[in-house]
Amino acid sequence: MINSTRLAALGGVALAGALALTACGTDNNGSKGASGGGTAASGDCVKTAVNAAGSTAQANAISEWTKGYQQNCAGANLNYNANGSGAGIQAFTQGQVAFAGSDSALKPEEHGPADQRCKDGKALDLPMVIGPIAVVYNLKGVDGLQLSPTTLASIFAGKIKTWDDAAIKKDNPQAKLPSTPIKTVHRADDSGTTDNFTKFLTDTAPDIWKFPGGKKWTAPGGQGATKSDGVSTVVKQTDGAISYTEMSYATNGKLQTAKIGNGANQFVEPSPETASQGAAGAQIVGTGNDLSLKVDYKTKQGYPIILFTYEIACEKGLPDQQAKFVKSYLTYTSSQQGQSVLSGLGYAPLPDSILTKVQAAVKGLS
Amino acid sequence: MSTVNLAGPSGLRKFKDKLALVLVCAAFALAVIPLVTLLYTVIKNGAKRFDMEFFTHSMNAIGGRDAGGGAYHAIIGTIEQVGLASVISIPIGVLTAIYLVEYGGGGRLARVVTFFVDVMTGVPSIVSGLFVFAFWIALLGFEYMGFAGSLALSVLMLPTVVRAAEEMLKLVPNDLREASYALGVPRWRTICFVVLPTAFTGIITGVMLAVARVMGETAPLLMTVFVTTAINNDPFKGPQMSLPLFVWDQAQLPQQVAIDRAWAGALTLILFVMLLNLAARLIARLRKPVSR
Repeated sequence: MINSTRLAALGGVALAGALALTACGTDNNGSKGASGGGTAASGDCVKTAVNAAGSTAQANAISEWTKGYQQNCAGANLNYNANGSGAGIQAFTQGQVAFAGSDSALKPEEHGPADQRCKDGKALDLPMVIGPIAVVYNLKGVDGLQLSPTTLASIFAGKIKTWDDAAIKKDNPQAKLPSTPIKTVHRADDSGTTDNFTKFLTDTAPDIWKFPGGKKWTAPGGQGATKSDGVSTVVKQTDGAISYTEMSYATNGKLQTAKIGNGANQFVEPSPETASQGAAGAQIVGTGNDLSLKVDYKTKQGYPIILFTYEIACEKGLPDQQAKFVKSYLTYTSSQQGQSVLSGLGYAPLPDSILTKVQAAVKGLS
Repeated sequence: MSTVNLAGPSGLRKFKDKLALVLVCAAFALAVIPLVTLLYTVIKNGAKRFDMEFFTHSMNAIGGRDAGGGAYHAIIGTIEQVGLASVISIPIGVLTAIYLVEYGGGGRLARVVTFFVDVMTGVPSIVSGLFVFAFWIALLGFEYMGFAGSLALSVLMLPTVVRAAEEMLKLVPNDLREASYALGVPRWRTICFVVLPTAFTGIITGVMLAVARVMGETAPLLMTVFVTTAINNDPFKGPQMSLPLFVWDQAQLPQQVAIDRAWAGALTLILFVMLLNLAARLIARLRKPVSR
């Protein structure tokens, strides 16, 4: 029976170890690098934990905002599951999360079920972050490549096959272009980035880009890669490659980014400032407090390829605590201070014309 | 009269022998290469964040580009979820195996059970997550919680436990059972005090391997435990984190600090599974059946 005592002792040690472990961890990560700081949430603080889900594109913004919100409101927490826009909207409609993050506004067929989830209220699209989509490429010795929308569309449609093509030369009179074949790379999975990038091509080069839009890449040819990090890895490893990705992945991977021609035929580099300028021309197409936007891809100023990410929230009809938290959280994210943390993260803040409308809509939540 | 050559094998046979040896060694080396490179990569990349802060802090209030933070909340979540899954599936699994070997005797019910255990072994892990999501969260309306993850994991664990225990019980020699019956010992006592102790080591090893297998599962947890950045010690209330989810969540972020955290998380997970395997071996050594 010595053996069983030994076993029992072993079990006891394991249990004690597990118990000791439960006691020694901490949620307190100090306030290192407090980029927002100060007093933003203006007094209202709802100490509860709420679930949200959706777009991966805004995951970094949400974690920064949650950190900022907690500085004024210790004990509150937002659990954000970055599982993709589609999954986020679905979880919202089924009532499992308090709000969803999405790369595109609710489609007409999604609006009905989403409104139903909000009981006596409506589901609102609230734009909150702008993500510039960078055109990234890998071509040694050619920095600051300039591409007009027509050239860009021809490249991705497979009509331009080498880097020394006449059309590219026309856009870049100064550059020394090699005769390397062009290898286009696109997202293999469904993606809001693809959706917005192809919308830009459809709008600005309708003669060349005739493929159906949507979250799936529909043009023939080219190589597929999964997720934004997959795309940036392939571009980094392939000589002559070109693709599109959110700007934060381009900066992080130290990839070459192209300047894109806007409606005034200026070649503009993607940056938080130029993207904000480009976003100012967006038209509100939603009704009432629903602020779904139509991007002006032919904008005369600023960088033209941008993506609005929305928070999809209930105007009314959430359980009391949740509704209070969502309102106070979104008040913080749409405040000047909440917006100011974005530029450091590869996003762009909303232009004032849109921001004031978002603030008004958030005020109307209950 | 022919002479027998006792000088040793001929040159050709020696050559064949050496060739076989070389091939076997080469095959072994080939099999080891992936394992070694995997361990090397994970240790090299994971060592950067493999520090005290990683094991004592959660990801609470860590902004997009902040360094620091840790996986404490994920470790707690994994231990609790896998622990609960074991509490559910080990008793059920071992009792099922006892029924199959000792009582079923190839009857119709036993054959049906064996068939379904085989089918369950082949269930992809994402399906068990979907099942628990559809049943527990969508239909019964429970919130996301660690326990839902445990349910999904136990669906995966059950067939492995049944199989392992069944094989071990089958190995117990029938002579032992007959000897026990001959002394007038009833069946249940025979099972409890003769059969189970004999098969104990094997069953424990099988169970440990089953636990180690589900510990690394991401898919069933994706839709059942949600994610969180804060410590949640209560698996029955609110979202929890787990180590595989932590790795999945951090690895898809663009910034290097997050990717470093993901590697450190992967290293921790590998160490956990290795410890479990070592524990299984230790128990097997401590508790050798009495030699006959």
